[in-house]
Amino acid sequence: MATLPNAPVPDSQLVSRMAAGEDAALGDLYDRYGRTVYALALAIVREPADAEEVVVDAFGQAWRRAASFDAARGSVGAWLATIARTRALDTLRARGRRARAHERAALLSDEGIAAPIAATGSDPARAVERSEARRLVSQALAALSGPQRIAIELAYFEGLSQSEIAERLSEPLGTIKTRIRAGMEKLRGLLGPLVEGAA
Amino acid sequence: MTSHEWQEQAAPYALGILSAEERRAFEAHLAGCAACRADVRAFAEVAGALAHAAPSAEPPQSLRDRVLAEAQRVRPIHVGIARRARLPWLAAAAALLLAVAGAVAAWRLTGRVHRLEDRIAVLDSIMAADDSALALLTGPDVNVVSLAGTDRQPSARVVWNRARNRFVVLAFDLPAAPPGRTYQLWAIAKGRSPMSMGTFNTDAHGRARVLLPVDQQIAALGFVDNCGLTQEPSGGSPQPTETPRLLGAWRRTD
Repeated sequence: MATLPNAPVPDSQLVSRMAAGEDAALGDLYDRYGRTVYALALAIVREPADAEEVVVDAFGQAWRRAASFDAARGSVGAWLATIARTRALDTLRARGRRARAHERAALLSDEGIAAPIAATGSDPARAVERSEARRLVSQALAALSGPQRIAIELAYFEGLSQSEIAERLSEPLGTIKTRIRAGMEKLRGLLGPLVEGAA
Repeated sequence: MTSHEWQEQAAPYALGILSAEERRAFEAHLAGCAACRADVRAFAEVAGALAHAAPSAEPPQSLRDRVLAEAQRVRPIHVGIARRARLPWLAAAAALLLAVAGAVAAWRLTGRVHRLEDRIAVLDSIMAADDSALALLTGPDVNVVSLAGTDRQPSARVVWNRARNRFVVLAFDLPAAPPGRTYQLWAIAKGRSPMSMGTFNTDAHGRARVLLPVDQQIAALGFVDNCGLTQEPSGGSPQPTETPRLLGAWRRTD
């Protein structure tokens, strides 16, 4: 996730205020990232009720650990996304992999998991920024080869290890490692505008 | 590994998909390699941006209130105090290592502290869940039934908390129902057809801990004699389609 270019207060300042115990700063952070975090959680756990739990847990953890956020290690958006994704994957693992057979089938179809862009929401400015980020990410993913994109999506949204992905796709481990690396390199180049200066 | 081979680990590391062994080795390397640290940072931002690839979804309005309510419940951890209080040995180790190895050790230790904090946060949430489970399991208006198979295992325990109108289901060593199937609990009262108490399934370890709302019909009876467990098609059946695999008589706890 990227920092919002027009945000009046930098994300990192919100996090500092959270560390000082200011609830309103948490509310502001939620207003900026709540939708994205919820969508991410839902994409991973697939159940709205579970996704809501993940969002509450993730923001709760961000709140409790705000003082340990270190801007030198990355942006607030990436920090939040990591927390939420970790929580969501924990939920998914706890629920067991068996029930997700049909979801895997959907992931492995040509369409993949990435969705068309949609800009809705109460705050038009935020919606536009979010929509811009979604457009960039969607374009970047579309620029990958199909196999690269599938490998990265399995890693990101299902939390599969490289060897699990190799097994799932019946491909040699080395091939999968190469695909993920090459795909991530390409995304790094394409998403430059989005992730630059995100600290 | 050559420096080139190390660099290849940065992307999968940032995605969190290295094996535990690979991760440890790479973290040890990261401590002394600024180039790889920069790569990890960049790929972590890419991974963060991938959140935008999730299909758009609208969270319910109430979610914001829940997030803020959680903040009311728990205050932020103040790093100095909390780390000292919770992890005295780690703080001591940190001081020592910082003195000896400087920034290199700081990098590695920060990672460890973060991981330990993550684990503490997970344990906190488990404890919070246990607290609320305990509240459901105890109290004056609680009934309990133990369900046992003929060969001792698997087993289940169901608590009926009337005050909260919930069944708490705890199952052990009960193999997960296969795809397309589910477990269903039945309240069995003399002279009546079995009444469904709800469906659930166990995890890969054969365990379950679920809350089921109490059906009005059962709540109106106030007490039933027995509780049975069957395996049914997904979604449950209106009436059991097999002899109960587990069966028990309700009793009052205290």
